[in-house]
Amino acid sequence: MTDYFIYTLISGAFVAIASGLIGSFLVLKKMTLMSDALSHVALPGIALGVIFKFEPIIGGLLFLFLSIILIWGIENKTKLATESITGVLFVTALAVGSILISETELLEAFFGNVEDISPLQLLIQTIIAIGIIGIVAKNFKSLMLVSIAPDLTYSEKISRTKLELLLLVLIALTISIGIGFVGVLLMSALSIIPAVTARNLSRNLKMYIWWSMFIATLSLIGGIIISHFTQSMNPGVATVLISTFFFLISLFGIRK
Amino acid sequence: MEQKNKQPVLTVEDLSLVIDGKKILKDISFSIIPEEVLAIIGPNGSGKSMLLKTLVGIRTPTSGTITWAPNTKVGYLPQRFQVDHYLPMTIEEFLSLKKNPEYSLSEVFSLVKIEKGWRTKNLAHLSSGQLQKILLAWAVIDKPEILLFDEPMENVDIAGQESIYRLLYELQETLHVALVIVSHDLNLVYRYADQVLCLNQKMLCYGAPHDELTEKRIKELFDTHTLFHHTH
Repeated sequence: MTDYFIYTLISGAFVAIASGLIGSFLVLKKMTLMSDALSHVALPGIALGVIFKFEPIIGGLLFLFLSIILIWGIENKTKLATESITGVLFVTALAVGSILISETELLEAFFGNVEDISPLQLLIQTIIAIGIIGIVAKNFKSLMLVSIAPDLTYSEKISRTKLELLLLVLIALTISIGIGFVGVLLMSALSIIPAVTARNLSRNLKMYIWWSMFIATLSLIGGIIISHFTQSMNPGVATVLISTFFFLISLFGIRK
Repeated sequence: MEQKNKQPVLTVEDLSLVIDGKKILKDISFSIIPEEVLAIIGPNGSGKSMLLKTLVGIRTPTSGTITWAPNTKVGYLPQRFQVDHYLPMTIEEFLSLKKNPEYSLSEVFSLVKIEKGWRTKNLAHLSSGQLQKILLAWAVIDKPEILLFDEPMENVDIAGQESIYRLLYELQETLHVALVIVSHDLNLVYRYADQVLCLNQKMLCYGAPHDELTEKRIKELFDTHTLFHHTH
């Protein structure tokens, strides 16, 4: 095993923990489809990174941020539902992104390619992942409250709209760091499937969050290792299949 | 009453709320002093819930002022609290989300008359009446000076509603909190409220229940509104 491979695994573990953690909020707040759609918005940014030779993660992040500000702004100013706005943005972004890059690069952006992640990107991803975990840990109670009972955030120091924006920012950051591993199309596998699986297995919140992070980590690390040693399977695809496998098993263990 | 000398916990002056060009509340003014019980009555859609939401800051008033006494802690029970039937959260975990609790879990359990064994019970397994009790526990756990209670949605059964109101009035006495309640049960208003505010976008009455709740006024308030049908 090369050093690079080990770094990939370490970075992958942090990214997966952050994804599983954010995913557990997404599932409770019923924002899974919206985050899935949002991940596609990164495509034009990644394309620009490829064309102008800068880290694609930076371009992806830029587009994600632009779109959450747009979504949040439109949602607060008009009566349009977040889902409708995201729906419009996501197909537009997909179309624009597809025009900008070649077919091979498009496939990579869609499904991820571990081999192509630069050491710098690994480092950026790891730092952002640690940041996400830290912010969630520090604001856990408020973020949880705004996810399960927004009307009860009245006594919080931070307003409900700001907490919702913070959650959107965290979602965007999580998507940006996961895309390198699993691509824009499969990103939800890293956050949503582990959380839904964890929900099947958990009696309480603590168990739910730990399971979600654990399953995300197991899936991504498993996916990277399988793809490394088989050389034929895409890591993103392997990750999805592993997490789906856990989900299917969890159906037998549903706790009510 | 000597209560009249106390400084108000909450003073509302000329409060108006317009949402999407629609007048929801118009020129509402009232104040509430410590330990006072104010009942807000009015037909469906009269703006009762919106008034509470505006008081706690969920809605921003279009004009007018809301003044709280310094450092007032507010407990609020929304009309609707939906728990996803699959939410993996125990009662203990839910209550621990509230910051700066002043009561321990067992203290608050005995206040709202919940058995100790409920600690690990799942929130999603509670009936809507039981959920109301948990919300009440949530609202009082940090020893608020004032409680704002919105009428539960219809899915709480009548017996459950009565017991939650009784519990509320008991708590008001033991904890010495001021209380703003939305209710359409005029018997309860007569029995417990110090002040009553009749609401139908505008304030139609405000004062002691026995002075304000004349038959004529109740007719005016409810019968003109075709949506409201309620028998006692």
